[in-house]
Amino acid sequence: MPPLELLLQQAWNGVMLGVMYALVAVGFTLFFGVLDVIHFSHGDIFMLGAFTGLTVLAGLRAAGVGGALLALPLTFAASILVTGAVGVLAERVCVKPLARASPLMTLLATLSLGLVIREAVLIFYPRGADPKPFPRLLPQGGVELGGVAIRYENLAILGIGLAAMVAVDLVIRRTRMGAAIRAVAQEPEAAQMMGVNLDRTVDATFFLGSGLAAVAGILSGLYYSEIHFIMGVTGGVIGFSAAAIGGLGNVYGAIIGGLLFGVLQTTAAALIPRGSEFRDVVAFAVVMVFLVFKPSGLLGEKSVERV
Amino acid sequence: MLELDGVSTRYGPITMLRDVSLALEAGRIACLLGPNGSGKTTLIRTILGIVRPVRGVVRLGGARIDGLRTHEIVKLGIGVVPEGRRVFPKMTVEENLRMGAFVEWTAADVAARREYVYGLFPRLAERRRQKAATMSGGEQAMLAMGRALMGRPKLLLLDEPSLGLAPLLVEQLFGIIRAINEGGTTVFLIEQNARKTLEIAHHGFVLQKGEIVGHGSARELAASEVVRHAYLRA
Repeated sequence: MPPLELLLQQAWNGVMLGVMYALVAVGFTLFFGVLDVIHFSHGDIFMLGAFTGLTVLAGLRAAGVGGALLALPLTFAASILVTGAVGVLAERVCVKPLARASPLMTLLATLSLGLVIREAVLIFYPRGADPKPFPRLLPQGGVELGGVAIRYENLAILGIGLAAMVAVDLVIRRTRMGAAIRAVAQEPEAAQMMGVNLDRTVDATFFLGSGLAAVAGILSGLYYSEIHFIMGVTGGVIGFSAAAIGGLGNVYGAIIGGLLFGVLQTTAAALIPRGSEFRDVVAFAVVMVFLVFKPSGLLGEKSVERV
Repeated sequence: MLELDGVSTRYGPITMLRDVSLALEAGRIACLLGPNGSGKTTLIRTILGIVRPVRGVVRLGGARIDGLRTHEIVKLGIGVVPEGRRVFPKMTVEENLRMGAFVEWTAADVAARREYVYGLFPRLAERRRQKAATMSGGEQAMLAMGRALMGRPKLLLLDEPSLGLAPLLVEQLFGIIRAINEGGTTVFLIEQNARKTLEIAHHGFVLQKGEIVGHGSARELAASEVVRHAYLRA
C-alpha cells in the first residue's frame, strides 16, 4: 500500500485531469441530450481547440501581446469561437442531413469528420506530426499542503475549468436559450409548439459544447506543456466514457464522470505496480464493469426511460 | 380565423388527409369528431407545420401559414395542448408554465399570467416546485392546459385534452375551456367524447378515414345520422 500522501497527491492530479475530461464530456452529453447522437468528432474538436489556442498565442506574441493576463482570455475567446463554429458546421454536415438515416450513419459520418480534422492538422500545421510545446503562461511555483504538492498552475487550471462549468450551468438553467435546449432534449415536438426554433437551438447546443472542448484543449496544453495532433483520439474516448459513466444526457453526470475517470486513472497508477503504464487499461476496465451493472450511468434518466 | 382549403397529406404511400376543407369561426368553440386513426392528430400537426400538406392551403387570419415552420406558426398566437400532453418531464410546474410563455420570454406580465393559470388550476399552485414527471395524469393534463394558456393565445388547439381523466375532472376541464372561450379565445377541440364535446362546442366537423364527412352546428351534428350512429350510440 503506497503512503497516504502519494494517494492524495495522485487524487489531486486526477482532479486536474478530471476537470478537462469533464469539459469534453459535457459536450458529448449535451449533443446526445438534444439530438440523441454521439458526435464522434468531438475529441478532434478538443484537439483543434488546443491547436487554435497555440496559434493564437503565437500570433499574439508576434504582435507583442505578451502578458498572460491579456493573452490568455483572448486565446480562450478566439479558440471557443473557432471550435464553436466548427462544431455547428459539423452538426450541419454530419448530423442534420442524416436525421432520418440509421444512427450508425451519423456515427460513421462524425468519425470520418474527426479523421478529416486530425489529418488536416497533421498536414497543414507546420511540422504537424511533432508534439508542439505549449507556452507556460500560468504562475509557476506552489505550496505543500499535508504532503501534497499543489502547484499554482494547477489551481489556475482548476479555477478556469470550474468557471467554464458554472458558466454553462448558468446558461442552461437561467437563460431563454438554455430553457430551449432543455425543452428540446425532453420533448422536441412540444418545444417547437411553444415557439422554440429547433435549428437555432441545436446550433446553440453544438456551439456551447464545442466551445467547452476548446477550453479543455487549451487547459490540456497548459497542463502538459505540450499538445499533439493525436490527443483528440484518447481525449474523445475518455470524454465519451465519462459522459457514459455519468449518464448520457445529464450535464452534472458528465462532470462527475469526468472527475471520477481522472481520479481513477491516477490512483490506479499509484496503487498498481507499474500502474502508470496501465492506468488507461485499469480506468477503462472499471468503466466497462460499471456500465455492465449500471448501463444508464450514475445520473442517467433518458436511457432508463427508453428501456 | 383558421381555414383549411383542400388540404391533403401523406405519410409515405398512405394518404392521411384527403381534400380537407374547414373554417373555424372566430371566438367560437369548434370541435373535430372522429374515430381513432381518422387523421385528427394529423390535421393538428398539419396546421402546426409539423406535417407538410402535399396539396391545399392553410390560412390563419387570411394569411397563408402552410410552409412556415412550427415555431413561426405558433408565434402568430396559437396555444397547443398536444396529443399525449407532452409536458416537459424534468421541468417543474413553474418551468413548464415558463416554457408556455417562451415567445414572450421577457414580457412584464409573465408572473401575472402564471397567477391566472394557478387561479384556474389551484392544484398546480400547490405543486409549483414539483417535476412534471412525478405528477398524476390529471395534474399533467391541467399543466398542459395551463402551459398552452401562458402565451395568451388567440387560438387554442386541444388534442384530446380529456383523455384518461376521471369524469369529474373532465367536467371541470370542459368548464374551463368554455370560460376561456368566453374570454374571447377561439378553440379547436379534438375529442373522442362526442357527447360532452357537443355540449360545449358551437360548431364542428366529422373526420373519417382522412375525409370530412359532416359539418354543421353542434345541434345539427348531435342530430345528424352519421354522428348519432358512430359516436352517440351509448
